Amino acid sequence: MPGAKFDLAYVFDYFPKLLSTLNVTLTIVGLSIVLGLGVGFLVALPRLYKVPVLKRVSEVYVSFFRGTPILIQLFLIYYGLPEILKLANVDVTRTPVLVFVVLTYSLHAGAFMSEMIRAGVAAVDRGQVEAAYSVGMTGPQAFVRIVLPQALAISLPVFANLVIATLKDTSLAFSLGVMEMTGKAQTLITVGQHFVEAYLVLAIIYFVISFALERLFRLLERRLLRHEKTENADRKRFGRRGSPSLRGLLAESASLPKGGSGL
Amino acid sequence: MIKLSRITKHFGRQQVLRGIDLTARQGEVVAILGPSGSGKTTLLRCINYLERPSDGEVEIGGFKVDCKHPSKKEIQTLRRKSAMVFQHYNLFKHKTALENVMEGLVVVRKLPKDEARERSAKVLEKVGLGAKLDAYPSQLSGGQQQRVGIARALALEPEVILFDEPTSALDPELVGEVLEVIRRIAKEGITMIVVTHEMGFAREVANHVIFMDEGRIVEEGDPKEIFARPKEERTRQFLKRITPEASYSI
Repeated sequence: MPGAKFDLAYVFDYFPKLLSTLNVTLTIVGLSIVLGLGVGFLVALPRLYKVPVLKRVSEVYVSFFRGTPILIQLFLIYYGLPEILKLANVDVTRTPVLVFVVLTYSLHAGAFMSEMIRAGVAAVDRGQVEAAYSVGMTGPQAFVRIVLPQALAISLPVFANLVIATLKDTSLAFSLGVMEMTGKAQTLITVGQHFVEAYLVLAIIYFVISFALERLFRLLERRLLRHEKTENADRKRFGRRGSPSLRGLLAESASLPKGGSGL
Repeated sequence: MIKLSRITKHFGRQQVLRGIDLTARQGEVVAILGPSGSGKTTLLRCINYLERPSDGEVEIGGFKVDCKHPSKKEIQTLRRKSAMVFQHYNLFKHKTALENVMEGLVVVRKLPKDEARERSAKVLEKVGLGAKLDAYPSQLSGGQQQRVGIARALALEPEVILFDEPTSALDPELVGEVLEVIRRIAKEGITMIVVTHEMGFAREVANHVIFMDEGRIVEEGDPKEIFARPKEERTRQFLKRITPEASYSI
């Protein structure tokens, strides 16, 4: 069915209405990233240190959450988890939906984070650890003071991607009825039938936040990699010179490994 | 004093070290020579347990560790009594020259930061890098990086400094400056064990030369003796190949 006739006034009208639910979206992103980072660490460690049984468990976990669409994960956890908990006599029927949503996104992000951490740590030269040992550091000291800072710097571009992907993925949370931005847009559409206006506003908001995040992470990366010759580092990483252009940024994000699920 | 007794090392089925005994007295410079694959680097790395010996005994400054059952603490102690200079420098990439030298003093020796900074700056000055304190390793030449590596080892004031082919990754024109620094600190009476391919350096600086082949010490003794009159055929072959008598003219 065709919607109502395009009316610019609605665009301006929808902006504040949609922005009023931005805090829900950002809450989901923020919590999922923080919790996901924790999960990611826990999952990465058994694989980094080759702990026999736990290593298998984390492998299965990672391949499940990387190999299934997040929409299905949302439904599975929202409908499935209460069933399992019922067996243990835990009643979660009164738990807010948002908890399930954050849980799903955290587990989802955690799977990608663990891969990111694993790759980052593995990319740090073995000689760095040996040097740390040779001056008398313990294993944990070497990890925290020498390996981790370098691994973080290496991982930052991937991390930036994950944050932006999570931001975009939150647009699926409305399918469980959470009133975040996309959910709000849906209700506005149901009332007014102004499809284009609503989605246009949504697209602008998501894009502006993503773009701001990109710039922020780029600054952070410069800072973390200040020990590399900046010129070379940039060219090696991005294969282009000069200041970043908008087109360059878009092309870059399109070529990166994970860019949100999309339905 | 450093004393290694009956050190053996297996990698799987392959035996890399076949019972090595080695002593370095206080202030002595011991050079380990030999063809590649002879086990020199492995032996050196066994001293600070970067490589775990299969059997034997390591003693540094009166602290003795049985290689069969070393505790974490014993390994830690051996590492604190020694320091290493690596072939590929292995400077902490995310730290400046000064921070590289300070790191061990602050984290391991628990020195107050100001004191560590002062001491580190002094040592860097000594290796000729007083002007490069705030440079990151990527901003330094190979020779400068290796001198930071030496400063990092030196600042810890260890019982022994272990050098693992300290000049073999350097451009030829940078070898001199690094050897010069090592020569200078050797004169200060710091105990050193040096794995090297620089025959001239070994002959001039070492008090004691060890020639290794296939995991064994083939010959050892005074450098003048060994270079002038090697007793073993294997040593003769090696020295002949590495120091050609004839020069080529084009």
